[in-house]
Order: sequence, then structure tokens, then C-alpha cells
Amino acid sequence: MSDLVTFRGVRLGYGRRTILSGLDFSIPEGDFLGLVGPNGAGKTTVLRGILGSLRPLEGTIAVDPGLRFGYVPQRDQVDYSFPLKVLDVVMMGRYDRIGLGRRPGADDRRRAVAALEHVGIADLADRQLGDLSGGQKQRTLIARALVGEPNLLILDEPTNGMDLVSTTQILGLVRELHETDGMTVIMVSHALNEVANYVERIALVVGGGFRIGTVDEIMSESVLSAMYGIPVDVDSFNGHRIVVARRTAGESGARA
Amino acid sequence: MLDAILIFQDALYGALVIGLACSVLGVYVVMRRIVFVGAALAQLSSAGIALALWLSGMGWAAALSSHPIGFSLVVTLAGALFFGMGGARGRIPADATIGVTYAVAAAAGILLIAKASAGEAHDIFLQGNILGITRVDMLVLLAVAVPVMLVHLVFYKEFLFVSFDRETARTLGYRVDFWNLLLYLTLGLVIAVAMQFAGVMLVFNFLVLPAVTGMLVTRSMRGIFAVAIASALLAALIGFSLSVPFDLPTGPSIIVVSGAFALLAWIGRSMVRH
Repeated sequence: MSDLVTFRGVRLGYGRRTILSGLDFSIPEGDFLGLVGPNGAGKTTVLRGILGSLRPLEGTIAVDPGLRFGYVPQRDQVDYSFPLKVLDVVMMGRYDRIGLGRRPGADDRRRAVAALEHVGIADLADRQLGDLSGGQKQRTLIARALVGEPNLLILDEPTNGMDLVSTTQILGLVRELHETDGMTVIMVSHALNEVANYVERIALVVGGGFRIGTVDEIMSESVLSAMYGIPVDVDSFNGHRIVVARRTAGESGARA
Repeated sequence: MLDAILIFQDALYGALVIGLACSVLGVYVVMRRIVFVGAALAQLSSAGIALALWLSGMGWAAALSSHPIGFSLVVTLAGALFFGMGGARGRIPADATIGVTYAVAAAAGILLIAKASAGEAHDIFLQGNILGITRVDMLVLLAVAVPVMLVHLVFYKEFLFVSFDRETARTLGYRVDFWNLLLYLTLGLVIAVAMQFAGVMLVFNFLVLPAVTGMLVTRSMRGIFAVAIASALLAALIGFSLSVPFDLPTGPSIIVVSGAFALLAWIGRSMVRH
């Protein structure tokens, strides 16, 4: 499998300010990577480097010539006050293929309907995007990413602000896209517990540090304790891995 | 009544052209929540006119008093460029920058016109002088409005995408900054030219009220554009037709009709909801 994106000795930042340095990793075709870390740690900076909207201060970011992104933005980056139907929003994913100044045609419409069927909301095609629930909006944005026929799907905080049911459904859908369609996926999230049980590899960004590896490599108490700077426990419950900060004696006493 | 209106038919056509162009751009102005950018650009335009009149009064460029449009264009497009490129991003919030521009441009316009011996009364800036539109003026308006409308018709998809979801547009290879800048520059161009005849109040009205009426009446982008254009043209026609025989100021008459349309739309929407 070829690498779709390769970071070599990359330092990322804005102006003179370095956010992350010494980044050396690849995203091979077929990968399912969770880009995880607390808010403000640099996830978006790495994401912008992958997307090509941020040039490295040092090093190189090489992308496969045939690379095509399918991008699912954070839900609050989209302006839902625009009165747009779900189908029209999904067709936006083909705008770059349609070309400047040209309108979507019958083929674009057919592909958009197929993408909606793929994510299970074909019946919502004529509804206003702003009227949908959080989960339905997210499915619409995933359909829009898919309709452009990407080979790398990137989801930025796809479950942010969702309830347990919607979160589980969206993460299940993303995993299905990876397993059934062989889609390469990068999922950006601040919720390690959520992502760790779905992805195959994790890139952890914490406090200026960066570490990437398989879920087993990253989800170890020694790695996570070192990255977060506090002792953590990694437990398993019904096959789900759960990370919790270890309570000190003082805290236990206080809570008890 | 018809005879009286026909005497000013070029002025009426001019008002319709201004209404058309401003109402189309106004949909983006309202949807993107940049209403006060429109107001600030209109004030910048009036400051540009005042600067031209002041310079003319000082004897530096006498021809400017009859054609202040050049100065107005330069100042307004500079403002459009500034806002289109993000407007002093940093510590100062964007809306504060707009407010500073608005206040300073408005004050500068009044001060300059107060000292311009070749100038007209400063309320011209507020009310404009729609009835003064000549055949040549109307052709100037058309020469600006038609290309701008064509750009917006042809690149509707692009303007919509970067307005709705700029991050995704960027990942699909769209030059988001370019499209934003083009939107602001076309806005500045239309405002600068319309301001010569319509004044701040009427230009601002055409930028906001028709789009609001459209949003209240329909729930599709095409519908909003259609209703905005129709309500702007109708308001211009009705306001103009009432103002001439009844000797009312034309700009405010058109604005009152626009306001009535928005009010009717709001009442109709409220009734449908209940």
C-alpha cells in the first residue's frame, strides 16, 4: 500500500511560533487514524498541514499525486442559516469536478442521491439542512465528502456535541466506510476514549508532544502517563478500552 | 401622474438598476452577516464624494465637483479590499473595525462637505438625489451593474460555497480569499456608483430590506434572490411613483415601501407559523 501523506522532519507553526516539531510519519492507503488531543494542543495545525493549507516551517509534507480529500468540517464551521436542501449541500462535494461557472447536472444529482443512500438518509434529500438533527447534519456532511469520490476521508470532531446514540451511530458509520469500502480515514477528536475503540492507529498530540502508533502501542499506561504528564489507568470493559486519570490518595479522600 | 413620472423616467430606470444590483448583493450581505460592512462602505463612498467636492472647492481639481465618482470609487474599493482581506485581523474584533470605519468616514464626509465651497448640502449624502439621474448617469449605472450581475450569475455556485462553508471549499481547491475579495469588490463597486445618486440611506435600504423580505417569504436561495429582486424593483417603482406627484423625497418614499414589504412578509410568516 502506498503512502498518501508523508511528513518528513516537519515543524509546524504560525509566523515565528512553533506549535509542533520533529513530525515524521506517514498515512498509508487503507489507514484508519485517530488524530487525538485536547483542544488547543495542535490537532488543527496538523490537520491543516495534511490538507495543505499550512506550509511547514521546516521539513516536507509529501502527498500522493492522486490524493483527493473528502473533508467533513466541524459542524459549527457550516452556516446553517443558509436555506439549502440536503441534496444541494451534498452536490457541493462535486463543485470542483463540475468546474467554475458551471451548474451541477443530472449525473451530479444521481451521485449525490447515491451518497445520501450510502449514509442512510436518502429520504431527507429534500429537507432543509438547518432543520435536521445533529446526527443527520453530520451524515449529510459525510455524504458531501463521499460524493467527491475521495481516497482520504478527514472528519474534524465529527461527534462534537452529540448525544451517546448519535455518537455511536456516526462512529459506526465511519468504521463501516473504512471496513466495507476500504476508505482511508483520519478522524480528529479530543475524546480519546471515544476514538480509541474505533480507529486502528492513533496520533496523540498533547502539550507540544506528538506520538503516533497502533492503538495497542498508544493505549498503554506508560505512554499515556508520559504524554499527559499524570498517571493514568487503561482498563477494558466489554471489549472497550477506557482511559481514566489515576486518583491520588488525597483526591480519593476528598471525593469520598 | 403618469406624465409627471415620465418626465423623470431616466431617474426611475436608474432607481430600478440600483435596486436590482443592491438587492442581489444584499442577499450575501444579509446571509453572511456583514450588513455593517455595507453601511461602512456606503459611508466611505460618501466620504470619497465629500473629499472630491472639498478638493474641487480648494481649486485643486475643479472638474471633480461634477464627477466625484472617481474619488468615491477609489475610497470605497480600498475599503472593500480592506474588509475583503479580513480587515485588520488580530486583537481588534472585526465588527469594531467596521464601526471605526463607519464613524470616521461619516464624520469625515460631513466635515469635508462643510468646508467644500462647491459642495451641496450634506443631507444629499443621506437622501441622495435620485431625481437628478440623467440618461448618461443611467448608462453609467448600467455599465457597472450589468457586468457585476453577470459575474454573480455565472459564479453563483462559487460565491455560495465560500459563503456557506469556506473550510470545505478550501479543501476542494477553491481560492476562498479570491472569491471573498471578488464579492467585496463587486459590493464596493455597486455601492460607490449607487451612492452618487441614491445616498447612504437608500443604498443601505436596498442592501438589507429586500433580502430580509426574501428570507421571510421563502426558504430557498433562488427564492430569496427572486423575492429580494422583485421587492426592490416594486418598492422603487411604487416609492418613485408616489413621491413625484405628491412632492415627497424619493429615497425615503422608496425606503418606506421597502419597509412595508418587509413588515407584510413578517406578518404573513407569523400568521403561517401560528
